[in-house]
Amino acid sequence: MIRFENVSKVYARGARPALDDVSVDVSRGEFVFLVGASGSGKSTFLRLVLREERPTGGKVYVAGRDLSRLSSWKVPSLRRSIGVVFQDFRLLPGKTVHENVAFALQVIGKPRHTIRTTVPEVLEMVGLDGKEKRLPHELSGGEQQRVAIARAFVNRPQILLADEPTGNLDPTTSLGIMRLLDRINRTGTTVVMATHDDEIVNEMRKRVVELSTGSVVRDEVDAVYGERESILPQVGQTPVLDAPGRGARAVQRVQVTPEPADLEAERAAEAAAARTATVQEPEREPAPETRGSSADEVVQQVLREHERVRAGREA
Amino acid sequence: MRLQFVLTEVLQGLRRNLSMVISVVLVTFVSLTFVGAAALLQTQVTKLKGDWYDLVEVSVFLCPTGSTAPTCADGEATEEQVDTLENVIDTELSDVVATTYFESKADAFEAFTQLYPDGYQGTQLTEDDMQSSFRLKLVDPEQYQVVDDVLEGRSGVEVVEDQREVFEPLFLALGRASLLAAGLAGVMLLAAVLLITTTIRLSAVSRRRETGIMRLVGASNLFVQLPFMLEGAIAALVGALLAVGGLWLAVQYLVTDWLQDSVDWVAYVDVGDVLLIAPLLIGIAVLLAVVSSVVTLNRYTRV
Repeated sequence: MIRFENVSKVYARGARPALDDVSVDVSRGEFVFLVGASGSGKSTFLRLVLREERPTGGKVYVAGRDLSRLSSWKVPSLRRSIGVVFQDFRLLPGKTVHENVAFALQVIGKPRHTIRTTVPEVLEMVGLDGKEKRLPHELSGGEQQRVAIARAFVNRPQILLADEPTGNLDPTTSLGIMRLLDRINRTGTTVVMATHDDEIVNEMRKRVVELSTGSVVRDEVDAVYGERESILPQVGQTPVLDAPGRGARAVQRVQVTPEPADLEAERAAEAAAARTATVQEPEREPAPETRGSSADEVVQQVLREHERVRAGREA
Repeated sequence: MRLQFVLTEVLQGLRRNLSMVISVVLVTFVSLTFVGAAALLQTQVTKLKGDWYDLVEVSVFLCPTGSTAPTCADGEATEEQVDTLENVIDTELSDVVATTYFESKADAFEAFTQLYPDGYQGTQLTEDDMQSSFRLKLVDPEQYQVVDDVLEGRSGVEVVEDQREVFEPLFLALGRASLLAAGLAGVMLLAAVLLITTTIRLSAVSRRRETGIMRLVGASNLFVQLPFMLEGAIAALVGALLAVGGLWLAVQYLVTDWLQDSVDWVAYVDVGDVLLIAPLLIGIAVLLAVVSSVVTLNRYTRV
């Protein structure tokens, strides 16, 4: 699905390459974590996949296309098969939740009736049913990220890129977002996620590609984040960190209270999934695994149903 | 769907940039008014020429008594000389001259007494004070020079006169006025291009968030840029329509209702001519907008 062959990227002549001879192969339906310190080349990797940048050397293949030979007028069609989620959500502040998601379909010229059916479906899937008329600033961070994910996924892309999607969120909310991404991944969508969040990486146990100053230093399946100290740069003594009281253990760990709105959204997403499941397939065998699997299968079910309806309409 | 969406975007953009849009409208309005004025002046000149050149003649004045011209050294033109000249006109100038009319001294005196029955400035002239002449109507008034080359300097001919010369100062003035209008139009058009460019750039920058997302989700270049192009085109078009309206009013009230009433023997431009140049003005406006938006957008909303 995504293949990098000895890819290098140098932004300015003579500067240190942002990517240096990187070869990575991500197959269809995989979930890959991209980890590494800031400046290690994670974002460059994602930008190359989107063809926002062209590699200085090597070849990038995405969804069967050779990006170095892709003419610029075909870039839009490439991007229609890729969904992107960012740390800062990038929602349009003047548009409601529904309009934000619909926007992604409108600008690629989807007919109105498709938008009318698809947008509520995807909003229900991310658990924002009933909040269609809200504006982004009326939502919590987690909910905003759900809108962003809905927008990225509404056109059913083959690939979903996520650039630190949980970077602005507390751990509990992050977990909800991760469950959502996992569910999307199980529909067959390839997910590549750049992150600094070691807890999430350790919990998910997916493939981990670690970049360091532009090179792949680790590529493991079922992996963990790794030693935080070895991945993130060591900070020497500085006046600020060396302030009086440094080293004294905090009496209490900072407690983060998760956003209640987002928990609600998560419950709604699960409930929506479960509800659709019972409606669609009442006598379905319960799945053998217990951990969140029923919800995931329901999502798949919804998607299959969607495909069937669409195919029927086109026929 | 697409059309409606694009139009909504365009309307939003126009509303958000209202003051800039208004300035674009006004600048295109003024510049195209100048373009239109230049075109109308040219039309007026053509009309006058068409009208008046049908009436003008070339006068070949024959030597009177006591003329100081070198060709008149022998005194008044003799009948023999008149016959020779008539022969020359009939043979050598047959392609150029449509009709020939010989005005004898008697004819001239008759015309004179009709014009000034009480004598000219207090002196009563006699038939002998008159001058006989050939009045030549040319097939094409522009070919005066040919007649002049053939007849000037022949014995018995005092001077060859082109009546067109009477109009030259007027046409010169009209021509200069239209040149001036065209020059001002050029300057204003340049200002319009720069202003449209700035407006589109401003609009593009203020909607960078939208266009960024459009590009990420795979909207085509045309789809991203079309709203901006339409914005510029609509503003320029409104300016062009205003210019057409302004010229229409000017022609209707200044020329048709006022000039034509006071000086009615001249053919003037009318509102029909304004409608004829309207497509030109609108075309210029659209071209202006398209060129400046393509230049700007390629720089600011590239994929």
